[in-house]
Amino acid sequence: MFKIEILTKKGFKNSHGKHVLSDITGIGIRNVIKVEYSPLYIIDGDINFVEAKMIASELLSDKIIETYTVNNHSEHDSKSTATFNCALFVVEVWYKTGVTDTVSESVMKAVKDLGIIKEMKVKMGHKYYLYGKISQTVLNNIATKLLANTLIQEYKIK
Amino acid sequence: MKSTTNCKIVKILDLSDKQLLELSRKNVLSLSLEEMKAIQNYFKKLKRNPTDVEIETIAQTWSEHCKHKTLTGVIEYTEEKGSQKVRRTYRNLLKETIFKATVELNKKWCLSVFKDNAGVIEFDSKNGVAFKVETHNHPSALEPYGGSATGIGGVIRDILGVGLGAKPLANTDVFCFGNPNTVASKVPEGMHHPKRIVKGVVSGVRDYGNRMGIPTVNGAVYFDDGYMANPLVYCGTMGIIPKNKIEKKVNFGDLILVVGGRTGRDGIHGATFSSIQLDQESDVTAVQIGNPIVEKKVLDVMLKARNLNLYRAVTDCGAGGLSSAVGELGEKTGAVVYLNKVPLKYQGLSPWEIWISEAQERMVFAVPPKNKKKIVEIFKKENVEAVFIGEFTKDKKLTLIYNNDVVTSMDMKFLHDGVPKPTRLAVCKVKEEKEQKPVKMTSSEISKALRASLADLNVCSKEWIIRQYDHEVQGQTVIKPLQGNDIEVSGPGDAAVIFPYTVVRGTKKGIVLSNGLNPQYGKINTYKMAASAIEEALRNAVAVGSDVEKMSILDNFCWGNPNKPEILGSLVRAANACYDMSKAFDVPFISGKDSLHNEYSIGGKKYSIPPALLISAMGVIENVANTITMPLKNNGNKIFVLGITRDELGGSVLAKIKNIKDGIVPNVYPKESKEIMKRIYKAINKNLIESCHDCSEGGLAVAISEMAFSADRGVKIDIDAIKTETIRSMTIAEILFSESNGRFIVEVYPDNEEKFQEIFNCTVFSKVGYVNDDKKIIFESKKNKIKVQEDPETLLKVWQSTMNW
Repeated sequence: MFKIEILTKKGFKNSHGKHVLSDITGIGIRNVIKVEYSPLYIIDGDINFVEAKMIASELLSDKIIETYTVNNHSEHDSKSTATFNCALFVVEVWYKTGVTDTVSESVMKAVKDLGIIKEMKVKMGHKYYLYGKISQTVLNNIATKLLANTLIQEYKIK
Repeated sequence: MKSTTNCKIVKILDLSDKQLLELSRKNVLSLSLEEMKAIQNYFKKLKRNPTDVEIETIAQTWSEHCKHKTLTGVIEYTEEKGSQKVRRTYRNLLKETIFKATVELNKKWCLSVFKDNAGVIEFDSKNGVAFKVETHNHPSALEPYGGSATGIGGVIRDILGVGLGAKPLANTDVFCFGNPNTVASKVPEGMHHPKRIVKGVVSGVRDYGNRMGIPTVNGAVYFDDGYMANPLVYCGTMGIIPKNKIEKKVNFGDLILVVGGRTGRDGIHGATFSSIQLDQESDVTAVQIGNPIVEKKVLDVMLKARNLNLYRAVTDCGAGGLSSAVGELGEKTGAVVYLNKVPLKYQGLSPWEIWISEAQERMVFAVPPKNKKKIVEIFKKENVEAVFIGEFTKDKKLTLIYNNDVVTSMDMKFLHDGVPKPTRLAVCKVKEEKEQKPVKMTSSEISKALRASLADLNVCSKEWIIRQYDHEVQGQTVIKPLQGNDIEVSGPGDAAVIFPYTVVRGTKKGIVLSNGLNPQYGKINTYKMAASAIEEALRNAVAVGSDVEKMSILDNFCWGNPNKPEILGSLVRAANACYDMSKAFDVPFISGKDSLHNEYSIGGKKYSIPPALLISAMGVIENVANTITMPLKNNGNKIFVLGITRDELGGSVLAKIKNIKDGIVPNVYPKESKEIMKRIYKAINKNLIESCHDCSEGGLAVAISEMAFSADRGVKIDIDAIKTETIRSMTIAEILFSESNGRFIVEVYPDNEEKFQEIFNCTVFSKVGYVNDDKKIIFESKKNKIKVQEDPETLLKVWQSTMNW
């Protein structure tokens, strides 16, 4: 099983992260100062590390503005921006089992089009890095009110 | 019939009334006691208990969503006006109001009305245009993105499923939300914040519509706190269809082909769920997620199959899933379906789940056996899954087989006609509307009110939403939603015009789409709300150049709980307004839909939404070159106001801003309005009008300002020249902000003035000013010593800033 994370390269705008930040301030939470967003993919099947890397670089990331890690292992300097001098919270959001995940369906098809014709399952998730001084309650609020719809998604705070 | 591991026998033969109701509630069947008893009696006659598949099939088929039980049921209506009481019994409200008007108007150019997935009118000698608007409120409340995406996906499939399939040309969308600026702590527990709902709903429509390659060209957004926990999401699609593909007919022996997406557990109980009030513990599986890529493939390939005459009928899988789709197609013949042949997303679904799942992007076809091979080949070429799951029979029965076991065997007649007609009580106490105290304002107060009106959520620019939609794809959008000098300077267009030249080669004709909606009026008077919505939709279309004599309209009722007599009563009044206006304007209804039970509970207390009737209008025009936009065109041109300004501030934007009690809700005067509408079409086609704008929310002050700032021009208006009702003298503020129906503002080139006035002879109109070259918007009354002066640029910014997210 491989977990692939797509990261924005240094010097490029993490635009979805910016949108999320404006949504957070939009509901009146002021203590978050920066948000970064990364799409996550779990690929479970009969593939090897080289194939996983190929899927990450050729299919899931944009080579100009993005880079990737496979199972948290990266060949490049992957962390997109300098770390802030404040707390960092990480929230991961995944679909609940049984919910139609159209992105994963497309990824499975595209992997086959890449020439990797093997049985596999793909799951797509979202990872948010939140920088700022926030309490657990506020963090939970952000997670349930903005990042995850708990009806169809579940979230983990790390 | 036996119980198997996958299919259970439901013992209902000996259940008491209480137990029957409990069964209905526990299994989310949304069936009343009367209905449960009808089922019990049917199976008593068969001398056996039903299976779970049978019970679920009946519940889906009989759901409010599919059968419109309330509007087609018996209604005992009482109208109280002062001490007078008028009683009337409706055997079928729809047939006695909306549909009746269409039958009486009997337009030859109405090709298919109220019987298929969409209404179809004539476009030219060879083609028809189909239009349908649907709601997807409950799913959007729970999962805004998925709910609205599947809403637009569903209505596109309605257009694909009309006749033998129409080609979608344009989408429309209209939303009602709670105030997006609500403080987070004021949002009811368990509900999404209105801003999250707005953003989710908009991105859902955007992603689905844009990916389908269909432009989203027309819409409206309405904010009111009554929609906080129960937003309204209306999605519409218009498409074009050859006249010889409008009829469908299923023959016995035809094979049942299911095409498109696979079946999963998504959206189970969607049809019955829509009749349940929303609360914190709503059903998880009622949520559907859309996949536009699959639907786009289905769209492309099915039109190919249609043109090769490979199938005899088609319909979409919407609410109730295969159960409703196969049931509808096989109503007159009968059908046998092998449930284990249905392609699944994953294993583990029970037969009843397969049968009623509302998994998206599926269509059902009736294919003559001789085309079996060819049709599958065509779908396969485009990577679209197409699987035969059974055939249509002549036994007039629905038979479902799962792994060689018969799990359902019921008469189609019972399934489709067996639902007992409920009798509901409806009461309407007609409130007497009183004129407000005269609204007196100084020049600076009027200035302030004008700015506040332009910044009001229901008037302000919706550019943030509109720009996310692709309204140009297919390259046929002639009149667009935002109109003005450039991208930065633009005003709100009244209606959209589509020029389908890529589909109908050599045509000059066009299709106009518009809408009318005003729930604020409905809080006071639903008759006037409905009448105003109809007039507003027509007015919007006429303002861009539509011919009112070739227009058709669609109704979409979103109401609260119809079991409450006052709520149903307000609906009856609105339906009566629909009949009266349809007849008076000579404009037929061609299709419609209702979503009742829009009710939610907060802390145990139940609330119904403010009633909302969306009227969507579609017109066919002879020459798309003769259409106009609303920004002012040239300095020195004259400004005319057509129609009478009456003292009608009830439910107006000004009344809300200034907290004015009382006020008369705008009435509709069809005779007066229609004359003006007819003449505008004539004048536009003689090239006598430079720009035209409908006057609605915010009155003349807002409409004239919009025309000026979208062109970055000034305008000088003499308020004393505006023709008003003579019964009572109106104050300046009342004249400027009254929302009387039937009014247009037009710009006329000085040399055309005479010819223009000739055309409008015998109607009420007046010359009120001219386009100014000093870039100032001026409203002046010398008589009352009032002078309001504003910069177009400032007003534009005020209008744009409210929803600048």
